[in-house]
Amino acid sequence: MMAGSVALPLMLGGYVGGACLALVAPSSRAARYITALGAIVGSVAALAVAARVLVTAQPLVLTVPNVLAAAGGLVLSVDPLGAFFLAVVALGSLPAAIYGVSYTAAYEGRSSLQFFGLMFNVFLLGMSVVACAGNIFTFVLAWELMSLASYFLVMTEADVVETREAGLWYIAMTQFSLVTLLPMFLLLAPGAERTAFADLRVGAAHLTPQLRGIVFLLAVVGFGSKAGVVPLHVWLPRAHPAAPSHVSALMSGVMIKLGIYGVIRVAFDLMNGGPPWWGGLLLVVGSVSALLGVLYALMEHDLKRLLAYHSVENIGIIIIGLGAGAILHSYGLQTLATIGFAAALYHTLNHACFKGLLFLAAGNVVHRTHTRNMEEMGGLIKQMPQTALLFLIGSAAIAALPPLNGFASEWMVFQALLAGTSIPRPEVALGFPVAVGMLALASGLAAACFVKAFGISFLAMPRSAHAADAREAPASMRVAAWMLAGACILLGVGASVVVPALYRVLESVGGLVVDPQLAPAPGLWIEAPRALGHLSPVLIAALLASIVLVTVVTVHRVHRRPLRLSDTWGCGRIAQTPRMEYTASAFAEPLRRVFAELYRPTQDLTVSVHPDSPHFVQSITFTSEVRPWFEEVLYDPIVRAGRLIGVGVRRLQTGSVHLYLVYVVAALMAALASVWWWP
Amino acid sequence: MDGLFSQLVVLGASGMLMTALIVLWRRGVPAYITAYRWQSWLLGGLTACVAYFGRDPALYFVAAALILLKGVAIPFLLRAVERRFGAQREVRPYVNTETSLLAAGILVLFAYALARPWMAVTMLPTRAGLPLAMALLFVSLFIIVSRKKAITQLVGFLMLENAIALLAVVGTYGVPLLVEFAVFLDALMGFLVMQIFIYQIHETFDTIDVEQLTRLKH
Amino acid sequence: MIEAIAVLTQTLAFVALAPGLTGFIRWMKARLQGRRGAPVWQPYVELRKLFAKERVVSKTASWVFRAAPFVVFGTSVAVASLVPLVFVPTAYDRIGDLFAVVYLLLLGTFFLALAGLDTGSPFGGMGASREMTVVALTEPTVALSIFALALTAQSTNLGDIIRQTVAEPVRALGTGHLLAFTALFIVTLAETGRLPIDNPSTHLELTMIHEAMVLEYSGPYLALVEWAAALKLLIFFVIAANLFLPWGVAFGWSPARLILAFLLIVLKVGMLAVLVAVLETRVAKLRLFRVPELLSASFVMALLAVLSTFLLR
Repeated sequence: MMAGSVALPLMLGGYVGGACLALVAPSSRAARYITALGAIVGSVAALAVAARVLVTAQPLVLTVPNVLAAAGGLVLSVDPLGAFFLAVVALGSLPAAIYGVSYTAAYEGRSSLQFFGLMFNVFLLGMSVVACAGNIFTFVLAWELMSLASYFLVMTEADVVETREAGLWYIAMTQFSLVTLLPMFLLLAPGAERTAFADLRVGAAHLTPQLRGIVFLLAVVGFGSKAGVVPLHVWLPRAHPAAPSHVSALMSGVMIKLGIYGVIRVAFDLMNGGPPWWGGLLLVVGSVSALLGVLYALMEHDLKRLLAYHSVENIGIIIIGLGAGAILHSYGLQTLATIGFAAALYHTLNHACFKGLLFLAAGNVVHRTHTRNMEEMGGLIKQMPQTALLFLIGSAAIAALPPLNGFASEWMVFQALLAGTSIPRPEVALGFPVAVGMLALASGLAAACFVKAFGISFLAMPRSAHAADAREAPASMRVAAWMLAGACILLGVGASVVVPALYRVLESVGGLVVDPQLAPAPGLWIEAPRALGHLSPVLIAALLASIVLVTVVTVHRVHRRPLRLSDTWGCGRIAQTPRMEYTASAFAEPLRRVFAELYRPTQDLTVSVHPDSPHFVQSITFTSEVRPWFEEVLYDPIVRAGRLIGVGVRRLQTGSVHLYLVYVVAALMAALASVWWWP
Repeated sequence: MDGLFSQLVVLGASGMLMTALIVLWRRGVPAYITAYRWQSWLLGGLTACVAYFGRDPALYFVAAALILLKGVAIPFLLRAVERRFGAQREVRPYVNTETSLLAAGILVLFAYALARPWMAVTMLPTRAGLPLAMALLFVSLFIIVSRKKAITQLVGFLMLENAIALLAVVGTYGVPLLVEFAVFLDALMGFLVMQIFIYQIHETFDTIDVEQLTRLKH
Repeated sequence: MIEAIAVLTQTLAFVALAPGLTGFIRWMKARLQGRRGAPVWQPYVELRKLFAKERVVSKTASWVFRAAPFVVFGTSVAVASLVPLVFVPTAYDRIGDLFAVVYLLLLGTFFLALAGLDTGSPFGGMGASREMTVVALTEPTVALSIFALALTAQSTNLGDIIRQTVAEPVRALGTGHLLAFTALFIVTLAETGRLPIDNPSTHLELTMIHEAMVLEYSGPYLALVEWAAALKLLIFFVIAANLFLPWGVAFGWSPARLILAFLLIVLKVGMLAVLVAVLETRVAKLRLFRVPELLSASFVMALLAVLSTFLLR
């Protein structure tokens, strides 16, 4: 009792305190430490809240009715689903806060660390309250706080042009999502006074199917643009590389998951699920996002932008799980549907861990080499051994390699898709194999992409002076990353413990019914029900470890000769220089050719000849660019239309005070006349 | 719905679909002729199967006619065309090979969705072949549309005719010999006309790339 | 307990037989090409020789290079323990299913590709890049073949698939089965680096995929990598044989049944080996950019396999 009622205010107090104190901190150093302290207190308290709700399955409620009582007041109501997402937020914020202590030292003098500390804590506060929100007002307030705070965080390096552009795209997309979410909530709310989620649940039962469909579409568009589904993902590859690395880790690992939370909350909790086309839409959107995300990630040389595109891919995978679960749910196959939803939740948790880890490790690299371009790195495994190992663990996790967590959750998504064959209508059931094919392709391409990312950045020889001079990152940055690496390993090996807990979380979501046989005591196996498949990650890990150990021992017993170091075989070459190594572009080139119809790379070849004679070539420049063509097709027309409207409106702004007074008088007359016409 | 008959029908129809995929996959004309020949033989074999299991002796003659005309005679004529223009390989079609194959896969699924109501209505044991026959139809149309060389389009047209014959065999246990002959003569006329066109295109442009026909505008 | 010992014995048999399979294919190819060829046990001799040689490691390489052979070998042996060679375990079967098999093999390839990049030589990079391309493009076909198999068996665990296929042979032996087998056969050729996708006996720069990745390895490292490759080939053959034609696989411990199962699997794998040898002698290696076309064709076949199962429901 006591612990629960203390933890929630403590969480709020931690973040608010961290924000205010950071703002008034006397020096940048103090600001850094205070920011981290506030964030750590808040995250630990949030974890306590989440743990309590998940273990007891009793919701925690905190109301502050005086704040804007007309809108229902501030209501925090943490049920198991909210607690799960709160845990995800806290799991991401804790390492990020620790990381920020040393990382933000690089910004001293360039930007105000006090302001950064304020925005950082406000951001964490916003995300936590979104997961806890119990009525519309609290949700929207927290959502906006989160979006605005993250905008300011993205603009930390506002002296770089790219960052300003990224900020513009980002703020436009967040406001777009708000503009879609407000009508959605309006449609859901049965009345002005009753805006609590409990009331919405009751009211949603009385909505007509068309209205429910519209609400669902608005939810998918609004929450989807926050989550980063194709084609609303365009802000992700711009904003995430521009932000400081631990902010990118938070945005990519945690913030976009709140979009998923929104979809689950609105579509499956408040509205109790719907017709099959809901799940079908999610499945299509998820498959396309997964495939396109990884395809564009393959072509990237900017380490952080590559990771950002992978976030798009993984959100796609989560939505595939959701879609599969939703379709099965709408056909009444409840037991099988829970696999899909559990898979989605599991992948949410796992992605937060390994994406956070990858961004933090990438942040280490960027911090020390002062470049994000992979083509200038190399050989970092010798200079930054711990960071390399951390990045390797993250890469293995995101490539879904056993026995880490990425494999366990992708296995569950596959099982959920396999369950789709039980659907009575074959046309719908045939969509599932197509989704399986696309998911498998995305998974294989992700493995290829991370071989490139890890191999080019960390292995072989340094390709530039930056990389050659790099040293290992400071301790706090490494500690934070190790926390997440440990989480990846534990969540993977301990899958058989995590999955039953997820089923229990799903019990609280309104429309889902969990088969009691499904949530046994945690054992060694995770299984898809109806014996669709069994897997034991912990036993696989044990098996692998023992076999490798036996092999190593046997080989070293049998083979007694010492190791000899020598040059790489050069096929007759004498010197081995970094120029002879494979580059990132070269690595991705076969896949670029295979998917050339999709990428449509532009090619530009310029040959400049000597002024005296056209037969002597001075230089040849070849540029080839892969630009997402749907940005040109979808967004350029919108941007151009916006500009045209702006130009048109500018004509009204003449600068003449008299004309403005005329506008005011005309508007007043029109308002009075309209009252006259409509009584 | 098991049973040897259904399995054989699905096997034969899938085989015919595979040969159409070979046309999408390979680039050389001899491969196309071989694929067409196998397809016609499979069609003949399938008709003979239907004759045996459906106890309709007239279909044996249809099968024999199919094998003779489409499995032997037309490939022979095609070889003559190939000897003149066989060096023309389908190097860069409108849709590249991987995309064509994936599109063919999607067309098969689409044909299945389309044929479902029909499958639900008929009670024949051959109804499992209906979606495959429709898929073959769509894939043949796709071949005609996405390939540039006239000779590939010719092979696509012949496969289209095979698809219609398959649809007739599988959907209604075949058609009377007279109707089969009439349809075949129609196709033969189309074949001869196309052959004349190929000769003429080659005379005018020195290539059988159908894209060159746009030059006739000016 | 007795099952654990039995599975251990089966795994050791797997590991012991793998080089023999490679030797047999090489011998068969030699005979088909009119040569005498090295004896079937030549790979064992080579492995023994390699274990005695010294390890030479490049100065630019890191611990990833030295760890990769152990990871590849470890994952191959782990997969070998999951695939039923002569008998089907009941409890052990639940540790991993076909997806675990595929992703464990992917783990091995991942590390091997990293090792290829680690040396800083363009050959290694080229091999790694091509290998990951081919692997990424085979993933959809593999997933769909698993899907096709799991459709009839209602499970992705190998033991359950075998049990189900033996129990209902008529449903199993349909067009879908045949198509899935063909698709899986093409995938086998791609993943194990056989013609027409990759030539296992070439060392010409422009024609290598797998060989380019492991070019820098020597001594016991090379032995482990070669053994792992042979093991992978045997694993795929046994999967093809025992999942599609499982008759003969033992379900209990009776010695007579085990011996019969062993003879049958040797026969089945032998037939597949002869098929591969004939194929390798007949076809030429495909250009790298024709390989995706072949893999798309195999994907469409796998899709048709799944569709056929729906057709005959």
